[in-house]
Amino acid sequence: MKSHWQILVVDDEEVMCESLAAWLREDGYLVDTASSGREAVDMASRRDYAIYFVDLKMPGGMDGIETMMQIRRRQKEASIIIITAYATVDTAITAMKEGAQEYIVKPCNPEEISLLVSRIIKVKNLQRENTILRKKLSRQYCVHDVISKNARMHAILGLAHEISSLRSTVLIQGESGTGKEMVARAIHNSGDRAAKPFVAVSCAALAETLLESELFGHEKGSFTGANQQKQGKFEMAAGGTIFLDEIGDISPKLQVDLLRVLQERSFYRVGGSEEVRVDVRVIAATHVNLQQAVAEGRFRDDLFYRLNVIEIRIPPLRERREDIPLLAHHFMERLSHELGKDIGEISEGALKLLMDYNWPGNVRELENAVERAMVTCRGRGLAEEDFSFLAQNGASGKSWAPPAGMTLQEMEKLLIASTIERTGGNIKEAAAVLGIDRSTLYEKIKRYEIPR
Amino acid sequence: MKYLYVGAIAGIGAGIEREAYREVRERVAAGFGAPVRELELPGVEFAYDAGRRQYGSIPVLEMLTRLCPADALKLLAVGGQDLFIPVLTFVFGHAQLGGRVAVISLARLRQEFYGLEPNREIFLERAHKEALHETGHTFGLVHCADRSCAMSLATNVRQIDLKHAAFCAACAAQLRRGLREQ
Repeated sequence: MKSHWQILVVDDEEVMCESLAAWLREDGYLVDTASSGREAVDMASRRDYAIYFVDLKMPGGMDGIETMMQIRRRQKEASIIIITAYATVDTAITAMKEGAQEYIVKPCNPEEISLLVSRIIKVKNLQRENTILRKKLSRQYCVHDVISKNARMHAILGLAHEISSLRSTVLIQGESGTGKEMVARAIHNSGDRAAKPFVAVSCAALAETLLESELFGHEKGSFTGANQQKQGKFEMAAGGTIFLDEIGDISPKLQVDLLRVLQERSFYRVGGSEEVRVDVRVIAATHVNLQQAVAEGRFRDDLFYRLNVIEIRIPPLRERREDIPLLAHHFMERLSHELGKDIGEISEGALKLLMDYNWPGNVRELENAVERAMVTCRGRGLAEEDFSFLAQNGASGKSWAPPAGMTLQEMEKLLIASTIERTGGNIKEAAAVLGIDRSTLYEKIKRYEIPR
Repeated sequence: MKYLYVGAIAGIGAGIEREAYREVRERVAAGFGAPVRELELPGVEFAYDAGRRQYGSIPVLEMLTRLCPADALKLLAVGGQDLFIPVLTFVFGHAQLGGRVAVISLARLRQEFYGLEPNREIFLERAHKEALHETGHTFGLVHCADRSCAMSLATNVRQIDLKHAAFCAACAAQLRRGLREQ
């Protein structure tokens, strides 16, 4: 990784310049040299160097300090090391005050330079990795990058974009693995809160008392083991978004606490008496039918209505099979880099197998299936046999059968209703999928009283 | 036919230093799989810096470039002088990266330099590792992150002692490519 970083050595004494450059090149760095401050500034304006070694005393009206200041004007993050054979306390103080990262006296111990350079490069590597990860994260969950050509998904993404800058609470419903958190992140990243934190909490993963402390924080001594005050997720998400996954699983007491946060925009830490006010957007998600949970008395209706200000229902993968080839290719491309395997093709047979499968685990299951197939694949493309494990799962779409006792008319009504829902209300598309005329479809919609 | 020349700089001691030179010559022949020839080199008094009481390795390399035989694949010089480059307090050796000549200094490889009891085996082992390291540079190898590889950077004798007198698999592969291209 060293060779990615470039170093500029600036010294009017050629032998000094070249000997340090040669020594650094042996260490694997790309090194350029400049014999004056002006030349160095000129080179710095054309290329970003990771480290600058600048001699303090140079003729020509631009000494090391002036050179450093000019470089820093162009590159605020530049790491500059001032080197001198004439060290004084005054010059050292001046150099450090003007932003030198280090001040070293030549000749210096090889160990000193080696440690110094590796320390700076380590920080630069971390900074670069951080930048790449941030970019990757925001790009991965942006509305425009969600992969789908399904009409319902497009409507959902359009809605997600429209509501991204509002503070209204959002309830995302969908089966496990449909990408509820991805949609939540897309809403967050597309809106005004993108630069603020997105904090995700899985409500199903923690016991009631732990979840309470996790969400609202606790005061020192509020319970055994609470050795110090701790911020909760609501405070951590200040100004941003909190994503409460599996909201249907929270206890009645937490339902009350959450209702209070949504109504008052404030809460108390566990064991605390001071009210904490927060500006946080709440996006909740669940795989259970919350309306049914309300009807059965398992979920508070007032909380449900508070959460369900904007409702998003993500269709399961089996209802948007047209996305399967797109998603499979997307996962293959991404995993080729991650797994270091050059697999770019997928056979027609393999795609048909994926299209026919029922995907109870939805997009997550598809992603895992593609990864498993790529890990075991011996060729340069995925074939049907690479997905043989799906047949063993026994959940293929071919095994589906209508419920016993269903009439033909009931079956027809159900099929038409689900097709219209799948096409997002597009009658022309629904008629094409069903293989009937538009006028016939209108007639059947009227006859069966199917809502549109 | 190209030869790997190993030369002794005039002034090299008759005892342990001469033994180190012979050891380097034999083990370098095995390490690089190339036929080796000996060369007696002149003194390097011209490179002496009275202020630092050391010898500049840059003028020594310039001399070696001039004296490098036409049939030399590489020329590695072994000397007893303490070497330096202007920006550093000392160097254990110096090479032209991807070039033809290199030099190693035996001065700081002795235990006595650090006020310790002399140790023949440690001294010879260090000389061998430094010879591999500097010759490796002439084949274009840069410092290796594997601390046990002969190409890892050593800025003190502890680091020389920690590495092996052999190249890691990646450096060995690059070296084989370098040897084929010569």
